[in-house]
Amino acid sequence: MAVISAITWFYLKPTDSASWTKSDLVILEDLAIYSLPTLPPDLSNAVAQNIDAARFGHSLFFDTRMSVNGLVSCATCHSPEKQFSDGLPKGRGIGLSDRNTRTIVGSAYSPWQYWDGRKDSQWSQALSPLEDPDEHGGNRMYYARFISEDPGYRRAYESLFGSLPHFNDKNRFPDGAGPIGNPAIFSAWENMATKDKHTVNIVFANIGKVLAAYQRLLIPGESKFDYYVKALLQNNNDKAETIFTKQEIRGLRLFINEAKCTDCHNGALFTNNEFHNTGSLSFPSEMPDRGRIDGVRKVLADPFNCLGPYSDDPTRNCPELTFVREGVELIGAMRTPTLRNLEGTAPYGHKGQFQTLNQVLEQYNDSPLAMIGHNEVENPLGLSISELDSIEAFLNTLNSPLITSPEWLNPPRLEISSTAVLQ
Amino acid sequence: MRKVIISLLITMSTTIFSSETTSITRSGYFHISYQSELKPITINQMHNWILHIETAQGDPVSGAKISVSGGMPLHNHGLPTNPKVTTDLGGGKYKLEGLRFHMRGYWELMVIIEVQGRRDTGIVKLNI
Repeated sequence: MAVISAITWFYLKPTDSASWTKSDLVILEDLAIYSLPTLPPDLSNAVAQNIDAARFGHSLFFDTRMSVNGLVSCATCHSPEKQFSDGLPKGRGIGLSDRNTRTIVGSAYSPWQYWDGRKDSQWSQALSPLEDPDEHGGNRMYYARFISEDPGYRRAYESLFGSLPHFNDKNRFPDGAGPIGNPAIFSAWENMATKDKHTVNIVFANIGKVLAAYQRLLIPGESKFDYYVKALLQNNNDKAETIFTKQEIRGLRLFINEAKCTDCHNGALFTNNEFHNTGSLSFPSEMPDRGRIDGVRKVLADPFNCLGPYSDDPTRNCPELTFVREGVELIGAMRTPTLRNLEGTAPYGHKGQFQTLNQVLEQYNDSPLAMIGHNEVENPLGLSISELDSIEAFLNTLNSPLITSPEWLNPPRLEISSTAVLQ
Repeated sequence: MRKVIISLLITMSTTIFSSETTSITRSGYFHISYQSELKPITINQMHNWILHIETAQGDPVSGAKISVSGGMPLHNHGLPTNPKVTTDLGGGKYKLEGLRFHMRGYWELMVIIEVQGRRDTGIVKLNI
């Protein structure tokens, strides 16, 4: 077998600039942005495709009043200047988050959100930071009242969802109330009537739905890699070789072959959006992160999931949730991140434990034992430093502008809050 | 020489890890075949199959209790979903829902069939 392997290697090892095999081209075509399908509708969000909802969400996304101290907006951690991430090891809002901030660009394509997939839609995901004491630090009663009392937001809300309560009766609707947060907030929520809690939950869910309508617009565009593949698929090898350097070609070849990166980083967004334990070490001084094994429990119990009462899909057709897997394989497993637009998003990993891409690649090259669970990357890759550098050079070809119109990438010039009228 | 090696490798891979749309259970009680609603089967897409179960004599098997698990034996991991037979369609046909494959490569599905006190297991093999 070793002899066959050696002979095979000798005869079949391609040179760095050699033409690609037919099966290689199939994989490259699959990775190119041109294979990204039209974004499917989110049936659980009735306003997902509504441009007015996107405008409303756009304004909320950049509005720091959406936090209990008036200093934190969604854009604080999901900054347009940093690929809608933050360039920090862990997200920093009011306090310090548990994990690294993932980009939200292209996340509308994923059936799961967060590293542990504890949310199953963009709109449901958008709700969590708002009530997290370390992020926006508010509570759902606070946000419902805020929308209700801001004339511009109130108009925007009612034009999309109909009449909005005033929440003036403090006996029924206290200043702050919600199931997450400090004991006073929790106690106030527990003391509210079920009907009133439902009313607040509807407004809260709708805030998530307009935020999602905006975030759905954030889609990556063509990168140098895509131009390279386009030239290859047009049989224009001369043009292709002017686009990619020999090192980038070598890196790409390793990426889809020996390094096996496309086992998980597949499809046009370079992610299968599934959960894998890759043996990443924990953040210094912290216990290992249990990842998906806890995330799956949370998403199944979440009232804002696809099967819950706040979904707009009357059929509750939720195959991802209905057929979700559980079990020990999920211990320490994290959702595969996209590899598009990594520029400026270091550090990497679910805890921001890797300062550079090179450190990430060395992790796969070494394939250490997982601290908890089982490292799916069972065998060290055994690549040379030069080969790892080539893969890194290839990864840097995946940076691109978004296809999103520039007006969406900055705070809205005329906020719909307070004075503006939604057109 | 190069062509010989390529032919050898292709023959080896198709022999060891070939896709088969039919399978015979271990004890030979049942024949399993399937039709995917997603053609060709591609990665990262949730979809359903129709399983067709027959006896060794070719008679359709209805009323069976069927469970499905599986994974990528070469990667030592399981399926990314928990597919389930949701409907007995009659005539030996069963709707299997919730399949999604998240990697290219060789997959095996283990199909356990129980009917009238008889239990047998079949392996469905597929390359994606």
